[in-house]
Amino acid sequence: MAVAWSLLFWLLMFFMNFAFIVSSFYQLLCLLDLEGDHMNPFEASAHINFWVMKEFLLHGVFCILLLVTGHWLIFLVAVPLASYHALLYMKRQHLVDVTEVFRNLKGEKNLRLFKLGFYVVFFVIVVFNLAIATFEAVLHE
Amino acid sequence: MGTENPGHPSFPVRPLPAPFAAVPPTGTPFSSSDPLVGHEASSFRPTPPTPPQATGPFVSSGPTVASDGSGFKATAPPRFNDQSVSFTPTTYIPSTGGPFYRFPTSQFPSTTQGPPARAPGPPQVQPFASQVSSPPVSFHQQPSSVPMGSPPQRANFAPPTVNAPQSLSDSSFSGPRPSLQPSFTPVDSSYSSARTTLQPPLPGYVNTQSNAVSQVPTMPSSFPSYPGSYVPPPPTITSSFPAHQGGLAPPMSTATPPGMISQHPGLPGGIMQGLAEEFRSLSFGSIPGSIEPGVDLKALPRPLEGDVEPNSFAEMYPLNCHSRYLRLTTTTIPNSSSLVSRWHLPLGAVVCPLAEAPSGEEVPIVNFASTGIIRCRRCRTYVNPYVTFTDAGRKWRCNICSLLNDVPSDYFAHLDATGRRIDLDQRPELTKGSVEFVAPTEYMVRPPMPPLYFFLIDVSISAIRSGMLEVVAETIKSCLDDLPGFPRTQIGFITYDSTIHFYNMKSSLTQPQMMVVSDLDDIFVPLPDDLLVNLSESRSVVGAFLDSLPSMFQDNVNVESAFGPALKAAFMVMNRLGGKLLIFQNTLPSLGVGRLRLRGDDVRVYGTDKEHALRIPEDPFYKQMAADLTKFHIAVNVYAFSDKYTDIASLGTLAKYTGGQVYYYPNFQSSLHGAKLMHELSRDLTRETAWEAVMRIRCGKGIRFTSYHGNFMLRSTDLLALPAVDCDKAYAMQLSLEETLLSTQTVYFQVALLYTASSGERRIRVHTLAAPVVADLSEMYRQADTGAIVSLVSRLAIEKTLSHKLEDARNALQQRIVKALKEYRNLHAVQHRLGARMIYPESLKYLTLYGLALCKSTPLRGGYADAPLDERCAAGYTMMALPVKSLLKLLYPSLIRVDDFLLKRSGDVKEFLDNIKRLPLAAESLDSRGLYIYDDGFRFVLWFGRMLPPDVAMNLLGQDFAAELSKVTLTERDNEMSRKLSKILEGLRRTDLSYYQLCHLVRQGEQPREGFFLLANLVEDQIGVSSGYVDWILQIHRQVQQNP
Repeated sequence: MAVAWSLLFWLLMFFMNFAFIVSSFYQLLCLLDLEGDHMNPFEASAHINFWVMKEFLLHGVFCILLLVTGHWLIFLVAVPLASYHALLYMKRQHLVDVTEVFRNLKGEKNLRLFKLGFYVVFFVIVVFNLAIATFEAVLHE
Repeated sequence: MGTENPGHPSFPVRPLPAPFAAVPPTGTPFSSSDPLVGHEASSFRPTPPTPPQATGPFVSSGPTVASDGSGFKATAPPRFNDQSVSFTPTTYIPSTGGPFYRFPTSQFPSTTQGPPARAPGPPQVQPFASQVSSPPVSFHQQPSSVPMGSPPQRANFAPPTVNAPQSLSDSSFSGPRPSLQPSFTPVDSSYSSARTTLQPPLPGYVNTQSNAVSQVPTMPSSFPSYPGSYVPPPPTITSSFPAHQGGLAPPMSTATPPGMISQHPGLPGGIMQGLAEEFRSLSFGSIPGSIEPGVDLKALPRPLEGDVEPNSFAEMYPLNCHSRYLRLTTTTIPNSSSLVSRWHLPLGAVVCPLAEAPSGEEVPIVNFASTGIIRCRRCRTYVNPYVTFTDAGRKWRCNICSLLNDVPSDYFAHLDATGRRIDLDQRPELTKGSVEFVAPTEYMVRPPMPPLYFFLIDVSISAIRSGMLEVVAETIKSCLDDLPGFPRTQIGFITYDSTIHFYNMKSSLTQPQMMVVSDLDDIFVPLPDDLLVNLSESRSVVGAFLDSLPSMFQDNVNVESAFGPALKAAFMVMNRLGGKLLIFQNTLPSLGVGRLRLRGDDVRVYGTDKEHALRIPEDPFYKQMAADLTKFHIAVNVYAFSDKYTDIASLGTLAKYTGGQVYYYPNFQSSLHGAKLMHELSRDLTRETAWEAVMRIRCGKGIRFTSYHGNFMLRSTDLLALPAVDCDKAYAMQLSLEETLLSTQTVYFQVALLYTASSGERRIRVHTLAAPVVADLSEMYRQADTGAIVSLVSRLAIEKTLSHKLEDARNALQQRIVKALKEYRNLHAVQHRLGARMIYPESLKYLTLYGLALCKSTPLRGGYADAPLDERCAAGYTMMALPVKSLLKLLYPSLIRVDDFLLKRSGDVKEFLDNIKRLPLAAESLDSRGLYIYDDGFRFVLWFGRMLPPDVAMNLLGQDFAAELSKVTLTERDNEMSRKLSKILEGLRRTDLSYYQLCHLVRQGEQPREGFFLLANLVEDQIGVSSGYVDWILQIHRQVQQNP
């Protein structure tokens, strides 16, 4: 039973992580489009801001899940980003400012690039764990 | 210009460099050559070969072949152009230089042909001339560029007198001479401004020399170069010549007086002599002797003549647009990024695309009609005077990206022998730096919008009590017939307190219908079609509405303000068309979305890291709303009136990102401030406005504009969205180098503003400007434009206050000035024993003072107690949009003494206004027996000295003269003195119509009014903890000298 739960858990983690990657990649794409003048700032910031809160919340859930399921090492790796998110939210700087997008473009891009890297690392960890869980599940049967 | 054409093809890239090179040579050649060079015309010719040597030191560009002669010629040419003279080509030919400048004229042909045939030297020169530019630059500056350091500048100046004679008489013009002389005189006059500054140096020269021994030798050599540009009429020349040799003094003496006087109007003749010397040396770039406590306050540089534009640049590049439209912080562009990093001041431009032109200089309108607008295929540059035509006129080369474009058949014209288009004189776009193209339908995403004015008026109790509503209604009514764009103009109104009132003004009605919406959470617009009406059709309904508006609400006791919902409603009404939204707000928005809280009166926040948060909008609603408004081409002008905190920081955001402006009338009372509101509102309504505009500035390869500062929103990385633009708005931008080394010798800038004129025509206003690229930092300093620098620096400082403490912003500003001066000092420290002198380039002599003034300006000054938060923010928003001239006037206002003139029995007001003597802004300038006008462009302060003869006050104020002045308004009374004064005020107001200067009366010693209105604005005095002028200079100087 435990094995099945573990598999399910890592599968969930996998999809969450996949969502993070998609979301950051999409935001990055919007910023690149904006920079290349393929998108106007109104659309770009609306598209980005649509994802921001969802990503923050999901990442919060992700951390809490890691915490309660006892994956503390991975939790410790994930928690800095979550607290950074919380900080941004508290400073009300989490959304892209449509009036000043271009001035902050570089910073926003770097931030998202960094986050994308971070998520990819997590993705690898999760996939690895998922593989182990699957392997165990198969063995178990 | 057609002229260029010939040159270009033959000298693709090269030509430019060569010309440039020419510049450096001028400087160097001199030094190498004997002092005598100036004398002999003959020397010119021979020189060509020599040039190479000269170039070495100056410019990196190796090819420089230019000879002295070339340099000379160059100088001379500018004038020639101006007055296309009668000289025959033949005469020119002999003189190498002559032809260049003349390029515009017919003579050019000879030159063009010449290049190939000619000896190496001349050809290069010519291209230069055609390119226009660099040579002139070098003239003035060259001397300075010479190793001499501070002395150089003097050198420059002095030479003019000396050289002039030579260059004119001997070298090129021997034959033509007679004719030339007359023509020259005009030149002088035009130069006069430049001259004044220049000449002073001469007398001082002697002194300075003693200081810097090394200079002496160089001096003579440098003379030759200058002359060209400033040649005085022949007669003077002869006399000056001999003198010059012996000692510069004699020639100068003749020249100096005028200059001096203009600089120190107030000084009696005797003192002037002595002072003059000090001043000269100052203007040279060094404060003589030590800058220890004994600094002579009077000798410090002050911009008492207001904004002086560097006009040598304009003369060098006659095809450039006028500086009122576009100003660079330095008119020479650095060629490498390492040079940029050593130029610590901002590198960029200030653009005022619709600046008002004096009559006769309006921007010509070009309609290409069937041809379509001629633009570069690749970089989309508009055709301009700097493009070159080749291939018998079938192709043209873009000056910005050098792509060869086809000339459309409709636009084809043959080239004459010189390579100019034969139809050049009928093509303003090829001869003028500023033109306006009529845009065809490709430039429209929708039919051009009609001018649209929408009014959002607060009718809560404070608006009624202050009388604001009455004044506004009256003013709008009086302007109805003058709104631009008749008969298409649209108009609409919404009023609000705790509810929102819409007005149906359909033309079929006789009286407007009012509809009240009280659901603030879910705004809907009743009758969406009839809220916005055509003014000419509904003229009588609108008139009736405005007549009844004040009485409709006169008993209103509602104190709430549902500003946010009302704004949303206005947005919903307007977003089909766009236009201009005028908001009249009296209280803090208190209901619905966008409500704000009192947050400005917390003293404890000041000095902490949270301080800046007070200066940015509190609620994201405002930024979001501003973005939406811009998207739909709606410009917002905010008029705020409250005596209490209204959070201008938040309200102003609406104006900031929509290209609007903020008008703030603290504690508005219609009896006192009505006139100001009336004038400014009617100016806002009736001035020529460009609608749904976008602006882009293009520049040559290798450089790029990276940041933009002002009231607008960026629509893409380099496209400014400006829902409404008018002549009172300027935008600043900074540029950076993309490549580490620029290979071109000239960089072109092109500002294009695409807009809808009030008439409904879509137009593109294009300003083109060329600037030389240099490899020499001192050249950049020499060509710096203080006005543009101050404008950019102030915008950066104000932006910094939005994310940092005020103190940080001030420190950053000071550090910038210190770094710039330190770099300049290091530049000259090697060759000269500078000792404890403070040196700065002539071009930046006012920078330190403006820096001080900026630190004391309303947005940046002091701390919590020094300016109310709302005033700070309003001033910040205003300064972000102000054109250079008005900004400089605001930073260093004029102080004028008028009692002498008023007491004089006769006296022509016009003459008085023409010869206004501005006084240094220090309490010392105020004599208690006098009457002074302080004018910062936004208000007048009339200061009555304590010992002013009572009859003056009696005549001006009538029975009120003993009353408390805060309650007295100045009205014209029936006596000569009062009439004269109001004429003076009227005259001063007419110099800048963008704001109305209300006259505040202040009596000496009447606190706190005196302190608030006048004393706090005397920038040279020590106020509170801020330093006075001398302290400031000492402080900067000390920092400059630290760890050199």
